[in-house]
Amino acid sequence: MSRWIGPALAAPVTLLLLLAFAAPMLVVVMLSLHELSDPFGPLLQRPSLTQFVTIATDPFYLGVLGETVLLGLGVTAVTILLSYPLAYWLARMPVRWRPLAFSAILVPLLTNVVVRSLGIILLLAPGGLINTATGLVGLPPMRNMLFTHGAVAVALAQVFMPFMVLALYDSLQNTSPRVHEAAQSLGASPAVRFLTVDLPLSLPGLRAGIVMVFLMSTTAYVSATMLGGKKVWTTGMLVVQEAIHYLNAPMASALALVMTAIGLAFTGLIAWLVGRMMPWTAGRPGRPLTLPRGLLAAIDLLGPSLARLLLAMALALLLLPLVLVCVQSFNDVPQATASGFRGFTLRWYEAVLSGGVYTDSFWVSVQLAAASTTAGLALALPAAFALARHPFRGRSALLAFWLLPLSLPGVAIGVGMLRLLQIYVAIPPFLGLMAVHVVLMLPFAITLLTASVATLDRAQEEAAASLGAGPGRTFLLVTLPALAPGLFAAGVVGGLLSFGEVTVTSFLTTARLTTLPVRIYAESSFSLEPTVHAISTLLIVLTVVALFLIGRAVRLDRLYAR
Amino acid sequence: MTLTRRTVNKLVLGAGLAVPYGFSRSAVAQPKPGDELVVGIWGGAQERIVKEHVEKPLVERYGCKVSYVLGGTVERRARAYAERGRPSFDVIYLNIFESRKAVRDGVTQAPTPAVGNYEQLYPVARQGGYGVAFNPCTIVYDRRKASAPVTSWKDMWKPEWQGRIAWPLLGGTEGIAALTMTARAWGGDEHNIDIAFEKLEELQPLAAIQSSQAQLFEMFDQGICDLSVEFGSFTRTYAETRNPNIEIASPEEGQALAMNVACITEGTPNQKLAEEWVDLHLSEPCMLAYAREVYYSPTVSNITIPEDLKPKLVVGEEVDRLIDFDWDVINANLNRWQARFDREIAG
Repeated sequence: MSRWIGPALAAPVTLLLLLAFAAPMLVVVMLSLHELSDPFGPLLQRPSLTQFVTIATDPFYLGVLGETVLLGLGVTAVTILLSYPLAYWLARMPVRWRPLAFSAILVPLLTNVVVRSLGIILLLAPGGLINTATGLVGLPPMRNMLFTHGAVAVALAQVFMPFMVLALYDSLQNTSPRVHEAAQSLGASPAVRFLTVDLPLSLPGLRAGIVMVFLMSTTAYVSATMLGGKKVWTTGMLVVQEAIHYLNAPMASALALVMTAIGLAFTGLIAWLVGRMMPWTAGRPGRPLTLPRGLLAAIDLLGPSLARLLLAMALALLLLPLVLVCVQSFNDVPQATASGFRGFTLRWYEAVLSGGVYTDSFWVSVQLAAASTTAGLALALPAAFALARHPFRGRSALLAFWLLPLSLPGVAIGVGMLRLLQIYVAIPPFLGLMAVHVVLMLPFAITLLTASVATLDRAQEEAAASLGAGPGRTFLLVTLPALAPGLFAAGVVGGLLSFGEVTVTSFLTTARLTTLPVRIYAESSFSLEPTVHAISTLLIVLTVVALFLIGRAVRLDRLYAR
Repeated sequence: MTLTRRTVNKLVLGAGLAVPYGFSRSAVAQPKPGDELVVGIWGGAQERIVKEHVEKPLVERYGCKVSYVLGGTVERRARAYAERGRPSFDVIYLNIFESRKAVRDGVTQAPTPAVGNYEQLYPVARQGGYGVAFNPCTIVYDRRKASAPVTSWKDMWKPEWQGRIAWPLLGGTEGIAALTMTARAWGGDEHNIDIAFEKLEELQPLAAIQSSQAQLFEMFDQGICDLSVEFGSFTRTYAETRNPNIEIASPEEGQALAMNVACITEGTPNQKLAEEWVDLHLSEPCMLAYAREVYYSPTVSNITIPEDLKPKLVVGEEVDRLIDFDWDVINANLNRWQARFDREIAG
């Protein structure tokens, strides 16, 4: 009987993905095997490898693929470096202040990707904030910061850092204070304790974070387009260009599949590397870690100040662009990108709040995000238990399938969906969009929740059972509360992904169901007015207030549980 | 009145001529209250203007409902192609080259006199659907950096612009206009585009490649570039509100014709409503609102344009001087040119 538990728990997720993801994915695979692009031709054609041969023999495509991977690696490295101090700071934050501190990482996620990129432009531009600040101390302006790989990397790091922080936070938060006490009583300073205890114990979170950030940054294209000024090319941009500008679906599909293959290879590599670094999960003893005395002294000397510096940089990167967005929302200029304050006005707020079009879209987005997140969590939690506790044959292959939506660029799903549009329109639009959003958030929810379930203290469940609680009661009263931070993190990431999703949604949106990001994106297609900054500012204020109230009403932490 | 044989013959002949048109029209269902028209259009000012000047009168007249799918032309086009024959849109707005190709590909309808204002359209605006706004592309530049006003497309090769040009990406109208006008200025044209790529190579290194007007204006603001090719309309708004040093050139070879086009989808269930929508878009209040708010020039000749707006728009004989390209040749070659541009110029 018990060997059926794993597959049974894994079934719902698999079923949804088969329905809502495998179909467009299959279309993408079939399209990639077309020899020529014909928007009206039959889907089923004699397979040809022409598109893949073109990619493999064209230095341009190969160059962009290489550039994209390097960019992804760079962004991931920067993100790791900045996220550890931030996640550590959050995990040690007094409970009262934690919700507000959390808003520092959640607010950037809630801000539309177009607007966030605008914030980075306002930061890096020759007349922007950094140059104004360095100008005050007499340094010459740096004119070359925008439209470079550096600018794109900064923008992507800002966008994806919150995902890494959330993944690390859960792991760091799970480390029992007793472990810290043990390390301390054995003579470890806080810096050394971080390196020898917290860091190894946070590896599952790190693995989840690396995979998410790398895959997302290699498939991103909005920030790359806005900040790279076409001097920077990413595969995501190529896929969009081929798919919708050139209507060359076969090439777009082939590129998307190549990117997916690279992403999967990377995921496998990381899983293997991190697994090797955590022998204890397989029941083998870890190798003792000995650091030379000189290095220890250097760590103690530099560690704390370095950590503080990195924390300050992380917070600045997350928040400064948003401050600029808020300032810009009061700026009396006709275009959203204009830097330099011309005069105070409230007319952008008036435009947002009157007429009702933005509020309507806002409610559509909120409902969609709430419904999708609830469904997503309900599907991902059993899957996480299956992965962490009930191993079964074919589990790894299934996990790879579950994580596929993450490595397939969103626009490729859109291309597949376009071919299925005739079928898709038969489904009520809200349900259809919900299914797509759930598919997109599942990889995150599964990765984050699996990490949480794996770090659960089973002794507590056993204690509950030995005290007479049935499985249902144990789950509700012991397991679920212990999973609260993980559920919270997964729910927040899922909700925000759904709230901000634009690439697939813009293909599937209908006249009566326009989400807020699609509306913002639509405005940017004509001329971006500072109304987008006003919307973002309102959302920022709303988020901070909501988190503050939530923090008062429910305890999101479980420090006291240990 | 007595009916002579001759009159009867005339009447019969007239009726016979009228039959095919009337017959085909009778297949078009008359709008009923509650019908829904779905329009694919850009957001922002565009959405505001049509809501006020097209939707309101249409709803008053027919009691219908209008819904919008907002976005840029590329997404709209991709979707309309995917839905060919069974469209979820009734009217979509496309740019000049997308619209002509869409008619050829059987995605949208060619224009017909069923739209009342069809007769008033300038001839160039009767292709690929119903042109609703002239929005020509030309050289825009910072006059402080120019030794003399720009009067020719060839002026971009003056040494003062070396390394200071933000070239438009070859994906949208601006990029195609820039490349084709370069070819024409140096003795080629859309049939002979090589010369344009050769001349473009001489301009390297470019200051940047701009992929949208917002990006270009940002580049002007930040001193990243001094010259580019862009829609005159948007640039005028930018020059008037943010950067008075920006000049919109009138090159002797002409400005490149660009146009927004209202297209009725092939297979729409709301043919009559869609035609009425387009007709209202071509009406004076709507045309003037566009002219006033975003400097789009009217595509119909029966509009009285206020004197203060005239110098800022393309009107009357100026329309005939706009350079129209052979878009069939361009559409047939665009993917090849784009691939070359990505590799040789932007890459």
